Amino acid sequence: MTSDARAWLYIAPAAVLLLLVGGIPLAINAYHSFFDIFSLENKFWVGGEWYVSILTSERFYDSLMRSLLFSTVVICVQFPLGLLIALSLPRGGWVRSLGLILLAVPLVVPWNMIPAIWLSLINPETGAIGQLITAFDIPFDYKFNPVHTWLLLVVMDTWHWVGLVAILACSGLAGIAPAYYQAAAIDRASRWQVFRFIELPKLTGALTMALLLRFMDSFMIYTEAFGINAGGPSGATTFLSLDLGEEIKAFNYGPAAARSVIYFAITLLIVHAFWRLLSARREDAG
Amino acid sequence: MTLKRILGTFGFLALTVFILLPLVQVIVLSFLSTLHHETAPKGSLTLLNYANIFRTDRLVASFLNSTIYVSLNVALTLIVALPAAYAFARFPFRGARATFFALLAFRVTPPVVLSLPAFLLFAQIDMLNTPVGVALAHCVFNVPIAIWILESFIRGVPKELDETAFLDGYSTPGFIIKHLIPVIAPGIGAAAFFCFMFSWVEVVFARTLTITDGKPITTAISSLFGFQTDIGLVMAMTSLSLVPGLVMIWFVRNHLSRGFTVRV
Repeated sequence: MTSDARAWLYIAPAAVLLLLVGGIPLAINAYHSFFDIFSLENKFWVGGEWYVSILTSERFYDSLMRSLLFSTVVICVQFPLGLLIALSLPRGGWVRSLGLILLAVPLVVPWNMIPAIWLSLINPETGAIGQLITAFDIPFDYKFNPVHTWLLLVVMDTWHWVGLVAILACSGLAGIAPAYYQAAAIDRASRWQVFRFIELPKLTGALTMALLLRFMDSFMIYTEAFGINAGGPSGATTFLSLDLGEEIKAFNYGPAAARSVIYFAITLLIVHAFWRLLSARREDAG
Repeated sequence: MTLKRILGTFGFLALTVFILLPLVQVIVLSFLSTLHHETAPKGSLTLLNYANIFRTDRLVASFLNSTIYVSLNVALTLIVALPAAYAFARFPFRGARATFFALLAFRVTPPVVLSLPAFLLFAQIDMLNTPVGVALAHCVFNVPIAIWILESFIRGVPKELDETAFLDGYSTPGFIIKHLIPVIAPGIGAAAFFCFMFSWVEVVFARTLTITDGKPITTAISSLFGFQTDIGLVMAMTSLSLVPGLVMIWFVRNHLSRGFTVRV
């Protein structure tokens, strides 16, 4: 058997499974997006009507901008912070183990509980932070002040996810052989040079994984954002997925399917751009 | 040097407080009576919330359902991801990178996008309201990640290991089971942790695919919110929902800290 055929044989189970649970639903979506659907038996061809109405609506571009902004802010906060944590953790011992365990804990909290936890934390009567805010008379109103809603979302998301960036970065750093550091010490490399020329190149893979996961999960944030303020105040935190969730809840299957196809295309385009960029750099590096 | 140490200690403490504060809040509330109960007046310290969980069949069942689908998902994911990861790491085949990207595309497909058609599809194949259905659906985002992590680990294993085993007469599947799995055990641990994590906390699929039966913890917790929410009970459920995750973290803590190189 040729090498190619063997490779495909080994990949087949994963590929078949993914096509079944991912590929078929995507195809169903694409098909339904051209219909006005009253029930599955009762549907009318509308062609590209849904696409036109979504792509010409101002609301879509507003939500898109909000989602892009949210992803950008979240990545700009969590990557430096996660890297800093990973670089500061000692390379062994109990502090490292404890640190990693701590960082991993928020990751296993069910997503719909995260807004509930943070809302209870800033509750003026029962919450630890809420009581502080009241005691010091700090004006904080996440319900009606969009800046405060955003602040709460970003802090909450950072609490939730900074551990993922830090853990992946930590794993990458631990994979660097001590010889590299010794060589750098002999060359009297500065801390920055060690980071730039030894650590960063070795971290590319781990950080790419973190970037893809973080980008995608923040770009399509739904459960957590909805739980905080249901997209408010006056639409200030209405992200792409909240618009879609609304349509699904209203049983607008046709438009929801078209919207899904558009969202999938956007995510794929952005991720493909990341991927191309990395492939180019990989070829440069030989 | 001492200044650096003080900064480090301070940073570590700040991080600990930042991470633990919300969780402490959860645990404290879970031991408080937050609604008026006959045996425990509002605001008193009590175990009633936990007792109420064990008294409510549907809450106990939700733990069982979540555990079943997460375990099934992790097992299924590892079984299909391991051979695929081996192929990516060892057979240089045409279109490998494009295929790898196609797999990644499934990881970046938003669950909200897939929830509705997945519901229609699973209704057709009679997979609604069962943990098996949820376990299958969660493969969409877990299989790609598991392949990525395992591939990195397998690539780190010297090729001589394969070659020696083949000389000894092992077939490829035999080699993977007998020799490769023990060597990449940390990688399997790390992959299992990430699969567990993404499946345990996921809400959209888990909720959409279980309408009448087989409901997971996330749905059970959501159903506790109402006109008069017993926040103490909600927080007790949340505290308990962390336990399996903490156990999982405890098992893989060394695997996570030993380190691996992820390749792109």
